[in-house]
Amino acid sequence: MSDPIIRTQGLTRRFGAFTAVDALDIAVAPGTIHAFLGANGSGKSTTIRMLIGLLRPTAGSILVDGIDVIRHPRRVRDRIGYMGQRVSLYQGLSLRENVEFYAGLYGLAGGELEWRWGVLRERFALGEAEAERPEDLPGGLRQRAGLALATLHRPRLLFLDEPTAGVDLHSRALFWELIQEEAAAGVTVFVTTHFLEEADYCDWVSFIDGGRLVADAPPEALRRRFSAGYRIAVALPAAARAAARAVLAAGGHAVEESAEGLRVDSPELAPRLLETLAQLVARHPEARVGIEQPAMTDVFRNVLAPAAGGRA
Amino acid sequence: MRWRRLRTLLVREGRATLRDPFTITILVAVPLVALLAFGFVLSTEVKGLPLAVLDASDTPASRRLIADLAAQGTFVPRRVVTRAALERALVGGAVSAALVVPPDFDRARARGADRPQVQLVYDGAEAVLAGNAEGYLQALVEAAGATLARPGAPRAGDGVTVAERALFNPTLDGKPFMVAGTFGFVLSFLTILITAVSIVNERLGGTFEQLQVTPATSVEILLGKVLPMGAIFTLDVVLMVVVAGVVLGVWPQGSVLLFVGVSAYYVSISLAAGLLISATSETANEAVQKTVLVSVPLVQLSGFIFPIRSMPIPFQWATTLFPATHYIAVTRGIYLRAEGLTTLWPELLALLGFGVVLIGLALRTMGRRP
Repeated sequence: MSDPIIRTQGLTRRFGAFTAVDALDIAVAPGTIHAFLGANGSGKSTTIRMLIGLLRPTAGSILVDGIDVIRHPRRVRDRIGYMGQRVSLYQGLSLRENVEFYAGLYGLAGGELEWRWGVLRERFALGEAEAERPEDLPGGLRQRAGLALATLHRPRLLFLDEPTAGVDLHSRALFWELIQEEAAAGVTVFVTTHFLEEADYCDWVSFIDGGRLVADAPPEALRRRFSAGYRIAVALPAAARAAARAVLAAGGHAVEESAEGLRVDSPELAPRLLETLAQLVARHPEARVGIEQPAMTDVFRNVLAPAAGGRA
Repeated sequence: MRWRRLRTLLVREGRATLRDPFTITILVAVPLVALLAFGFVLSTEVKGLPLAVLDASDTPASRRLIADLAAQGTFVPRRVVTRAALERALVGGAVSAALVVPPDFDRARARGADRPQVQLVYDGAEAVLAGNAEGYLQALVEAAGATLARPGAPRAGDGVTVAERALFNPTLDGKPFMVAGTFGFVLSFLTILITAVSIVNERLGGTFEQLQVTPATSVEILLGKVLPMGAIFTLDVVLMVVVAGVVLGVWPQGSVLLFVGVSAYYVSISLAAGLLISATSETANEAVQKTVLVSVPLVQLSGFIFPIRSMPIPFQWATTLFPATHYIAVTRGIYLRAEGLTTLWPELLALLGFGVVLIGLALRTMGRRP
């Protein structure tokens, strides 16, 4: 990993006798999407609020873009964009007036603001919503508007706290596309979510439970370690099964018979496996290949299972 | 602090307030309703009160005393001829108070040694009304009696308190007293309530947290919130002055400028109190409850309705702990007695002290990270 743009060491926050975040060490690579996953009340929001300087840690250190956030919380504010759980648009003001308000706080005005907002309005499809008040907008649109506002001042880092909570499935997919575009443009995205399947949109996953980090790796690595792996089902007529089995066996894969045909279990979708499958389909055009990806929810169930123990 | 950021915050707050019909209604209706209600209805003024009069003396002097009483308009004397009739009238509720002129009234007056004595009987169950009536009646009788006793040269020390009261409020009209006090009530209760609820709602809506991660400083955020509110409540003060003058006929006897200036400063004290309540409230409901809780002693102990001088001594001390007490003393000083800085400075100094402490605390609370 290149030098992390966010790094915490021993980050701890206690509320009285309750430890919300317990000795967290996180490192986030620049330009990546870093998912911070966990159940409700696991310490996600407390962590993100400490990272952006809204909450003072009980112990530990935080560096964001080279700045000690605990000592100088104000210094990171030009560099970060934040979208909280409640999209913070002012009710009673139109979206356009909200844009002008936040732009004013970042010193963005005149032609510069028009240009920047023009780009965002287009990209986030907000043209029709511009004159509307936030309370009149549907959830998905309001969420997009919130993200657009968080990126208005071109931050180097985006902190998103449960950005897709309460948003329908279609809007969520659209929202993740926008987040991925931001990351592609070089913005580091630190995002909390309790939708475990959303981990697949991310480059790295930190999983927090009871304030402690229980898994910290790219999503594929977690899958490899904490699931039965991919299940490849090849449906084909009984007559062709022996020949097909030979092709798969030649590729070094353990093959089992099933009612529809053959089945291969593999911890990952390695290029060699995909090549072998391509060969098989070339020889047996009647074969239908289905690949079942282990669900992230299953992965995390295994992470949390006492037998799995420890950190990834 | 950057002016551009502050201007951005000010414009937003102003826009939001002016666009909210509910807030605007409250800001205009509450002060006006309070003024009219306290001015007309709750006024402690005694007027046209039925008064039973038993004139056992029945001399030109006693008849003159009763005629004087009738002329003031405060009481409507009803003659009774026996003590039993007097008591019936009181018990039956036909009159709230009764005056008994003893048979030796004229003789005592003629002796000139003592002031002539009359007896006042009132319904103790109607404590407040009776108390007020007693105060007025005593003043009137003393004034009338003193003149009767020494038509030529009243002795120094006779009826001094009566004379003083008549100097500033010759008609013994209760309206100016209540109007001046209403400013204290409205600028405390309404300002604290609106400020606290507005900030709690902003915090719940997430916008407050969002503001804190922008480059805006805590001072800018605070000023962006309180300056527009301060301006609005100062406009409320002007509105109340005008309405009290036009509708109730009560204008400040002293400097209007000083009055509005002190009121604007008092608004900032209430704003700070509102900020402190908002900082300790999780929901708007909680903020409302706390404001009401603060407002109960505000009404009871600030001298707004109940005179501080008639409270037990420990309570009199307690009243000085409320900024409203000092503000109401100042408003009455300016409204009723045309007082200025030379006499009001102790109260103003107390207000200054409260302001420094409360505004300082509010600033600290707003700037602190949890």
